[in-house]
Amino acid sequence: MRPRILARLSFRAKITLGIAALLLGCAAPSIWLASNMAALELMDEIKARGAVLAENLASRVTDSMLADDLLRLKNMADEIAAVDDINYAFIMDAEGRVLASSFTGGFPVELIGVNAAPQKGPPSVRLLNASGEFIYDFAAPVVIAGTHFGQVRLGLSRSRHQARIDRLTAAMAGVAGAALLLAVGAGMLFARRVTRRINALREHAEEVVKGNLDIRAGTHLRKNCWEIMQCGLLNCPAHGDAERRCWRLAGTLCPDCKGKSPRDKTLSCVNCKVYQRNKGDEIQDLTETFDVMSAALSARLSELRDAQGTLASQERLLRVILDATPDHVALLDANLRYLAVNKAYALFLGLPPSAIVGRKDGEFYPPGEAAEREREFAGVLETGRPLSKEAAIRRAGREGWYHVQVGQAPGPRDGSPAVLRTDREITQIKEFREQLIQAQKMEALGKLAGGVAHEINTPLGVILGYAQLLQEDVPEGGQMREDLLAIEKQTLICRDIVADLLKFSRQGEGRRRRVLLDGALREAIGLVERSFALHRINLVYDPGPDDLPVMADPERLKQVWINFLNNARDAVGESGLVSVTARKIAPDKASVTFADTGSGILPEYVEKVFDPFFTTKPVGKGTGLGLAVSYGIIKDYGGELTVQSPAPAGAFAGKEGQGDKPGPGSAFTAILPLSPGGLDEAGTQKDF
Amino acid sequence: MTAPRFALLALLAFVLAAAPGCGPDEEPIPVDMSRREEPAPAAPKRGLTYAYLPQYAHAVSYQRHRLLVEYLSKAVGMPIRQVFPDTFDEHVKMVARGEIDISFSNPFVYLRLAEHGARAFARIVEPSGKPAFRGQIIVRRDDPAIRSVADCRGKRWMAVDPSSAGGYLFALGEFYDHGLREEDFGAIGFAPGPGGKQEKVVLAVYSGTWDVGSIREGALALLADRIDLDRIRILAETRAYPSWVYAARPGLDPEVVRKVSQAMFALSVNRPDDAVILQSANIRGLIPATDADYDSVRELAKKLGLTPETIQ
Repeated sequence: MRPRILARLSFRAKITLGIAALLLGCAAPSIWLASNMAALELMDEIKARGAVLAENLASRVTDSMLADDLLRLKNMADEIAAVDDINYAFIMDAEGRVLASSFTGGFPVELIGVNAAPQKGPPSVRLLNASGEFIYDFAAPVVIAGTHFGQVRLGLSRSRHQARIDRLTAAMAGVAGAALLLAVGAGMLFARRVTRRINALREHAEEVVKGNLDIRAGTHLRKNCWEIMQCGLLNCPAHGDAERRCWRLAGTLCPDCKGKSPRDKTLSCVNCKVYQRNKGDEIQDLTETFDVMSAALSARLSELRDAQGTLASQERLLRVILDATPDHVALLDANLRYLAVNKAYALFLGLPPSAIVGRKDGEFYPPGEAAEREREFAGVLETGRPLSKEAAIRRAGREGWYHVQVGQAPGPRDGSPAVLRTDREITQIKEFREQLIQAQKMEALGKLAGGVAHEINTPLGVILGYAQLLQEDVPEGGQMREDLLAIEKQTLICRDIVADLLKFSRQGEGRRRRVLLDGALREAIGLVERSFALHRINLVYDPGPDDLPVMADPERLKQVWINFLNNARDAVGESGLVSVTARKIAPDKASVTFADTGSGILPEYVEKVFDPFFTTKPVGKGTGLGLAVSYGIIKDYGGELTVQSPAPAGAFAGKEGQGDKPGPGSAFTAILPLSPGGLDEAGTQKDF
Repeated sequence: MTAPRFALLALLAFVLAAAPGCGPDEEPIPVDMSRREEPAPAAPKRGLTYAYLPQYAHAVSYQRHRLLVEYLSKAVGMPIRQVFPDTFDEHVKMVARGEIDISFSNPFVYLRLAEHGARAFARIVEPSGKPAFRGQIIVRRDDPAIRSVADCRGKRWMAVDPSSAGGYLFALGEFYDHGLREEDFGAIGFAPGPGGKQEKVVLAVYSGTWDVGSIREGALALLADRIDLDRIRILAETRAYPSWVYAARPGLDPEVVRKVSQAMFALSVNRPDDAVILQSANIRGLIPATDADYDSVRELAKKLGLTPETIQ
């Protein structure tokens, strides 16, 4: 219990109590000892004095005893009893009769027997208790010429001396008490001074805990080194610093301690007058060490904050990069739980990233797919070999192609291996790649077709020539004539096919000049108008408000338009509407759209309509080369050709005669770059 | 027990052990001071009284004459006790009143006793072996101014005591014989008492404080090993006068006087027991005396103009 009470006391109270206890502990036994020793000394002194007085009296009474001078004996007894601390004196003869005494009103007879002087030698001393008063009784022999003549008795009050000792002890106690009070007062002042500094240190420590590291607890020095040494070194770090002492600073320029560390300085500065003046005590050392600590802490914290800031900005940067990338990035730990995902992947899964982290694929994918993914991850984790593949992944009703890369990565926490999966969507790339393959195939086919047509053209000419020659030899109406006509007809078909093949193979050829789209369109329309009318197909041409000049070979352009018109007529069949619209869609681009109300194109064929030899027409009705040739020409002129089926809703707006049974229809649009500058008058006029 | 506590206890034990006298105090004896009685009056003392002229302190007188008194008491067959008058005058008066039976005094006091009817019956033999003694006048040997007694005129004289026979009166008689009176001296002083007065006179002359000194014969020997006696010159010696005297009070039984005298005269320095008694009393022996033996002293007194009243 006692230590707890002590522990609860303030440091100041402890110091004060400690000083008081120490002083009390020293003073009380000292006073006790001193008073005892004084009492003892005094008692010895009293005894010695009493003995001397008694002996003296014994020697003085001899003459009077010899002379039987009782008056003088009485006088002597009275004289000595008149001394302050002497209670009584009396003289007895050898027979034990009291010759004279200082008593009046009878003699206390009990006194006679309590003490007896020896025959010779020092007086006998007895302590008497006379009703509470303590008296030393001295009995000194009266010896004359070796003969015992009697004795003198002397009573010396011990009580009076005891009172003196008590007064002395009380005075000592009083002085000690006053000294104690003074010391306690001084101790309190001292404790206050010490605890004030400790409390200041504590307050500063609390400030530090609160985060205020810029405070200084150090005492303000009245004179620091630059004032004491008068060095004039203005660029010294100690110059002007009245809070820290120079030997605690690194890099000071004082010639006596330049280049020394603070530790070495403390050793070598012991004899320096600056040190001797300002060395202070342990609390000051502590305070300064505390300041250094808080300053160092502040610096470290600021460094840490900077580092944290850099780290955070880098993390943000990385996060931005990761989130900005369209690739799906996911990091999984060794247990195949998600550690981190980027925004793209979260969007892909349709969940916020926080809902993904810490979970497994089984919660996001169908069981089969999840098992497959986890098998792959496990394989990568086990072997350490990266996995790279292309895979079609279906999600939210849409299938996409992805380039999947799975690799091992060091785990961010404990360094155990993790798995990084990156899915890059390549659906479009894959399409382009297929288109490229297609284009290469077409090119090869064109070359092959051109070669074959060229080789076939000559024998076909021979066959046709001979067939026509034979017709002249065969009379009309005969079977032979009919057969020859059939040969001629079929040979002519073959020649058309060969001619188309040749056109296909010669796509890059032809002379280009500036022509107006309108002219080529009107020429083509004029060629098919009659045929459209026969099939009750309403052909509507909308040339638009602008002149649309392009750089092209007008013949080839016309061929393209005729191909579109023929295709439209074939798609419509009997009764329908074909609209031709030319528009300037950009300052440097123009479009021409052929829309029909025909049967349209099946979705699976939409991408193949420009392939050579792709046709939905019956055998003999089309070569499958028309749209391929048109596609090649438009591309050759730097344009684009697209198809839409069914035809866009607004394609026939406000146009009548869509036929009896209008189909979904289709729309072919050619976009051509416009030619800057004026028209080539000659070319255009000649063609028209 | 922890070390600090142990140390504290050890310190306390040390302090307690070091404190002297802290043990139990001496046991006081209870005394009832209120029980009082008047002391019984002393019974009157019996026997002969013997007194030695109080030339010294009583204790000295007692010491010197104790053995002699004891011897006489035994020899006479009756108790004899020594009494101690405080002054010469009281001595004389006590003899006159009959309180002193046997008086031992110097010759001048005897003259007074004789006036009161006391009679001499014995006198002592001085340590010198003679029943008489002289006075001596001393000066410094190197004092050129004093070559004879007459040269003492106007000088400063220190004597032993105004009542001293050998130390003053005998010398004064000598000066009278040489025509010098008291007033002829520059100053007359007496040695300060008590005790050692003879020696003090010698030392006063020796140190030059006084020019002339008067002492009893034999006194110089007392200082033989303490000062250089060669520096003292005995200027003159007085004639010899009879020595100290025993006198019986008037009215004392002559038979008693006879017995005492006989016992006194029987003492011999040659017997060891007697020698102790005699040496203790500083005498060599005792011889019979008569009143007439002191006529020379009476003459001197007459010469000096001393009456029994003026002799101290």
